[in-house]
Amino acid sequence: MSKKEGALLQFSPMQSLVDEGFWHRFSSLKLNKLGIDDSPLPIIGFYAPCSHSQVSNHLTLLAESLPSESSDASLVPEPSSGNRNKCSIPGILYNTNTVEAFHALDKMKLLKEEAAKIWNDIVTGKAVEDCSVLSRFLLISFADLKKWSFHYWFAFPALMLDPPAALVNLRPASQWLRAAEAESLSTACNEWRKSKSTADVPFFLVTIDPQSRATVRLLKEWEACQSDSHKVLFGFYDPCHFPNTPGWPLRNFLALISAKWNLKSVQFFCYRENRGFADMGLSLVGEALITVPEGWKNTMPNAVGWELNKGRKVPRCISLAQSMDPTRLAVSAA
Amino acid sequence: MVLSQKIHEAFKGTVERITSHRTVSAFKEKGVLSVSEFVIAGDNLVAKCPTWSWESGEPSKRKPYLPAEKQFLITRNVPCLRRAASVEEEYEAAGGEVLLDDEENDGWLATHGKPKETKSDEEEDLPSMESLEISKKEPIKQISTYMGGEEEDDIPDMAEFEETDNIVTDPSTYLVAHEPDDDNILRTRTYDVSITYDKYYQTPRVWLTGYDESRMLLQQELVLEDVSQDHARKTVTIEDHPHLPGKHASIHPCRHGAVMKKIIDVLMSRGVEPEVDKYLFLFLKFMASVIPTIEYDYTMDFDLGSTSNN
Repeated sequence: MSKKEGALLQFSPMQSLVDEGFWHRFSSLKLNKLGIDDSPLPIIGFYAPCSHSQVSNHLTLLAESLPSESSDASLVPEPSSGNRNKCSIPGILYNTNTVEAFHALDKMKLLKEEAAKIWNDIVTGKAVEDCSVLSRFLLISFADLKKWSFHYWFAFPALMLDPPAALVNLRPASQWLRAAEAESLSTACNEWRKSKSTADVPFFLVTIDPQSRATVRLLKEWEACQSDSHKVLFGFYDPCHFPNTPGWPLRNFLALISAKWNLKSVQFFCYRENRGFADMGLSLVGEALITVPEGWKNTMPNAVGWELNKGRKVPRCISLAQSMDPTRLAVSAA
Repeated sequence: MVLSQKIHEAFKGTVERITSHRTVSAFKEKGVLSVSEFVIAGDNLVAKCPTWSWESGEPSKRKPYLPAEKQFLITRNVPCLRRAASVEEEYEAAGGEVLLDDEENDGWLATHGKPKETKSDEEEDLPSMESLEISKKEPIKQISTYMGGEEEDDIPDMAEFEETDNIVTDPSTYLVAHEPDDDNILRTRTYDVSITYDKYYQTPRVWLTGYDESRMLLQQELVLEDVSQDHARKTVTIEDHPHLPGKHASIHPCRHGAVMKKIIDVLMSRGVEPEVDKYLFLFLKFMASVIPTIEYDYTMDFDLGSTSNN
């Protein structure tokens, strides 16, 4: 299971899933409130750690990802907080009014703009306070409300280290850690996930003291983790289920760790669950070697992240005529 | 929707509006739940199986008799690795448990299965549930989803529109790990499973939303492939979800109370006194006979076979 030394660290891309309810609410928002206004709309996506060994978790859009139609002033959706199965991630929606405008969107530029927000939050330290901004995403769409079909494309901007990080060792947490450490970490993670104030905080620090006691802390407690006798792991909620690859959120996390704390060797912890509880056999621990040159953080790194559709660079399309078209609904109700 | 079903829905709606909800517990007598018992049982499910959570759903569809933030229960992204239809064929061939089709059609499981006439020389070939390789028996069918362009709607042919112009990614720096391209992923669907409270039948009710392997919404007929064939055309209906937009597949609750009553009776005859907060664990175990391959979480909190009188 472990990879040979010096291999490039690779990541499993974030995957999107859009609930039907999202398009229902978007349609009614467009018809009743937005009209032809196509200015970008803040939205909220939800994700959670992988909770089953056979399927990855997704960045999910639901009806509540959008602002409520009735709210008079605010066009910003309210983030739900404290739900362990729904960590809120900020995103932005560019919806166009025509299919031509959809194709004409400058995707490189849009991706770069979102990546710049992430980079800015890293440099200013905002990402340490509110780590959800590290997984910021972008959605472009064309909602054809005449045919009830929706064309859309997600991007999950990832800042690239240059040269890329190398992977020294990647193993299940249960093999990497001593039994007592794994048990203590498992308990600490379950408590973290149980507490309403931390359940939806997707990036965190783990310290393990010489007595094998693990503590899970917020990123802003970095200073408190500085003790030679402690092991420090950089943990994140990993949506990916593959046993040999960490998930996408690690990319921007490594950029943060390198830019903020200037570490050359990072032990990361891909936190995964089984049926809602910490699973150290599914969770991974690995070591990444970062070899970026001095002063790399003075310029913004390049970014990648448009989601592939069955391996191809094409948008996705969903038709909801069956559940939205009033004439069809009338026929099926007759 | 069939007319009779329509009329029944209207009738049910009216009854629900004019009757007050149950306040006296009839859990052991009738296998039904009051609103407050549903909340208690739901709280316990969420506590024991944290992949489940309470949700408030669409504000316009909120039921006044339930707490605003506890309108229904949901677990998302539940794997379904095999089609129930194929599993049943294999399983029945293996002489496994089968549904007893008694006159009441309750869907009880027989533990020893139908005796198979030609059992003699194929003993070695019996597939085990674990190693069942559906793909070897029949090729994976192209799954048509909403994505498919063969619908009567003429979806603009965007899928053919290969983007080459303004996305430039150098594959050597993209560092994307490639997913193993095997049948397992092709077969894997995921489901959002929700449990609502049906005020008319005074029981929980299960709703299913399916997604294919590329995370696109599954057509409703395809959802039926993941329902036990004894139930697929009979007890599973496509209706408006009480808290979410759109139409969803649902296991009709008309027999839920009676079946739950039987399960409770069996437990009590063994000296096990079921508590109302365990209702949903029993209920979800019963649901697993209808949707056997959707691996939602329910842990058995107490031993069904345990007896206190011996």
